[in-house]
Amino acid sequence: MKKSISLLLVLFLIFGFLAGCGQSTDNSSSAGTNKNEQTDSGKDDTSAAKTKIAFWYYWDGKNQQEYVTELTQKFNESQNEVEMVSQYVPFADYKKQLSIGLAASNLPDVAVIDNPDHASYAAMGLFADINDRLRDWADKEQYFPGPMKSATYDGKTYGIPMTSNCLALFYNEEMLTKAGATPPETWDELREAAAKLTGNGTTGFAFSAVKGEEGVFGFIPFLLSTGATVDSPGSPEAVKSFDFLLGLVEDGSMSKEVINWTQADVLKQFMAGKVAMMLNGPWQIPLLEQDAPDLKWNVAKIPKDKDFTSVLGGENIGIVNGNNVDSAVKFLKYMGSAEVVRETAVKLGMFPPRKDVAADKIWTDDPVMKVFMDEMQYAQPRGPHPKWPEISNTLSTSLQEVLTGVKAPQAAAKDAQASVDKIKE
Amino acid sequence: MKRFNKLLSEDVIGYCFALPALLFMLFFVGYPILSNLALSFMDVNVMTFSNKVREFVGLVNYIELLKEPILSISFFNTLLFAAACIVFQFILGFALALLFNQKFPLAKPMRGFLIISWMIPITITALIFKFMFSLDGIINEALKFLHIISVPIEWLIHPVTAMLSIMIANIWIGIPFNMILLSTGLSTIPNDIYESANIDGAGSVQKFLFITLPMLKPAINSVLVLGFIYTCKVFDLVYVMTQGGPVNATEMLSTYSYRLSFNEFSFSRGAAVANIMFIFLFIIGLGYLKLIKEDEVM
Repeated sequence: MKKSISLLLVLFLIFGFLAGCGQSTDNSSSAGTNKNEQTDSGKDDTSAAKTKIAFWYYWDGKNQQEYVTELTQKFNESQNEVEMVSQYVPFADYKKQLSIGLAASNLPDVAVIDNPDHASYAAMGLFADINDRLRDWADKEQYFPGPMKSATYDGKTYGIPMTSNCLALFYNEEMLTKAGATPPETWDELREAAAKLTGNGTTGFAFSAVKGEEGVFGFIPFLLSTGATVDSPGSPEAVKSFDFLLGLVEDGSMSKEVINWTQADVLKQFMAGKVAMMLNGPWQIPLLEQDAPDLKWNVAKIPKDKDFTSVLGGENIGIVNGNNVDSAVKFLKYMGSAEVVRETAVKLGMFPPRKDVAADKIWTDDPVMKVFMDEMQYAQPRGPHPKWPEISNTLSTSLQEVLTGVKAPQAAAKDAQASVDKIKE
Repeated sequence: MKRFNKLLSEDVIGYCFALPALLFMLFFVGYPILSNLALSFMDVNVMTFSNKVREFVGLVNYIELLKEPILSISFFNTLLFAAACIVFQFILGFALALLFNQKFPLAKPMRGFLIISWMIPITITALIFKFMFSLDGIINEALKFLHIISVPIEWLIHPVTAMLSIMIANIWIGIPFNMILLSTGLSTIPNDIYESANIDGAGSVQKFLFITLPMLKPAINSVLVLGFIYTCKVFDLVYVMTQGGPVNATEMLSTYSYRLSFNEFSFSRGAAVANIMFIFLFIIGLGYLKLIKEDEVM
């Protein structure tokens, strides 16, 4: 008798387990639908006939997310064919989620994408080719060529740029005046000024050289300024850029610790007065004003070796291959309209990729913004190449090898060239 | 009816109890392992991902990986990291377990407090250690204050000290795990044995060597093997503290596999690295099972 009871218990356990299993999968798959329902309630009956599409983005911060919600709401009210639902995915997890989603066919219809990754995902078949669908879209002509190029792969258009940014040189005005230095324009001036500004626990210059894409982002302006390209990290020009950065470390004007500093870390050092000049982006300005209101700072173009250069950052939006491409294009065109581009750039602390919007007073009258807008002309996109992440890892490794002294610039450059050649084969 | 009852012998009941866990394992452990194995024999990367047919390439991914110096570097790093962490975690954990096994006021609450380092999310521990190990972090400041060093140590910048730093952080995290398991083991040793040893005139060293250690053998075995496997799987700590850098000094098999799969989109190669790690840990797991069996026979 006892045994039959225990058998019964076992059966319960098994069924309980199976039922629990079924339920949990149900829950996870309906997480998205629940959201849809929430937005549905309170809408009129026509919403039932609307095509529902999902939009993934990774802009974090409360204001940014409220802005995206507001944006999708406006879009949903502006027409009655498409119902857009936005979903935030943290940046640290974003690429992983897209890759997993791609393998499991669990994807949004529209996705924000960091522009150096656009070509990779296009090559993997994530994004739809919308060349033909954008042919009669007049607004397309308004986009700057650099950002637009980052959304193309193999001559086809896989999306549009949404926001742009680039790096510039931030400097602590008080420190420069005290040290009798002027904002440097060339590498020699930068080295000299950085040496003057170093001392008493302050280093003259810093940029994020952390392992990974963020560090490469900061290194590219130096690399390109010599006339080298990301395809030729072994050229004498590229060696020169490694030499220069190593020189700053050897002078003591740049802390070796930059290899562990993210851009946010560099900003903290700058705000604490431990770094006198830094490379950083416009998205740090709101933080700088909020957390260090007394700090007197200004921006200048990144000092040059041969040419002024900067690196293009920012996000594109792409349409995911699937059944809802046509509906998604409607949302894409809405996101690309002059008003939305303008509003988004302001709200996210970025720059507009459209010429007509960039001519707005917001960017031409403000002295700080003007420098960044100037810098945008020289900003080069990374790639676009589907294997950019591998190229980027190579550059990151050689930069770290040089700054830590593991390899001499010449040797690091030679090895980097060999890796890049192999990747590009 | 009697026959039916007989069929329901203890074996059957036993299997029934194991069935839910078995199904769970098959579905959530077995399937991923097999599909990962299959992936590693195909060629799936950024350029071939959208192809309808996955090309079977046999061992090419493994051979290509063996040519990469990073694989052997990360394998060696993982091994070194796990071995060093286990030795120190075990010794310190054992010492603390013995200490808190003594009866003194506040022994129990203090042991409870020590668990905290095991409870804190690893990301947070990693961030705290990253701050502490920075050039002007508290560790360098303290060493300078004590006049042990005059120039700050480049903890996370120099390849050797970067490895040392993540080891120290991981040892700190792992001590309570060792301590608790060994404490539990200690509490199962009956007091009478020690009492009779006292009567026989055994000293404390003798009691430790000939009573405590042999009686603790099963607990020690499981602590060492489980600890080793957990340590080999380290990911978040390294990812937050050094990202596998400087250069590749702290690259582990786990971080390398992640980087290949989710950063470079070389999914097949990432899978191959994961499988290499799996085979390695599997062998260690088999060794553990054998140890347990021997103990049971005894």
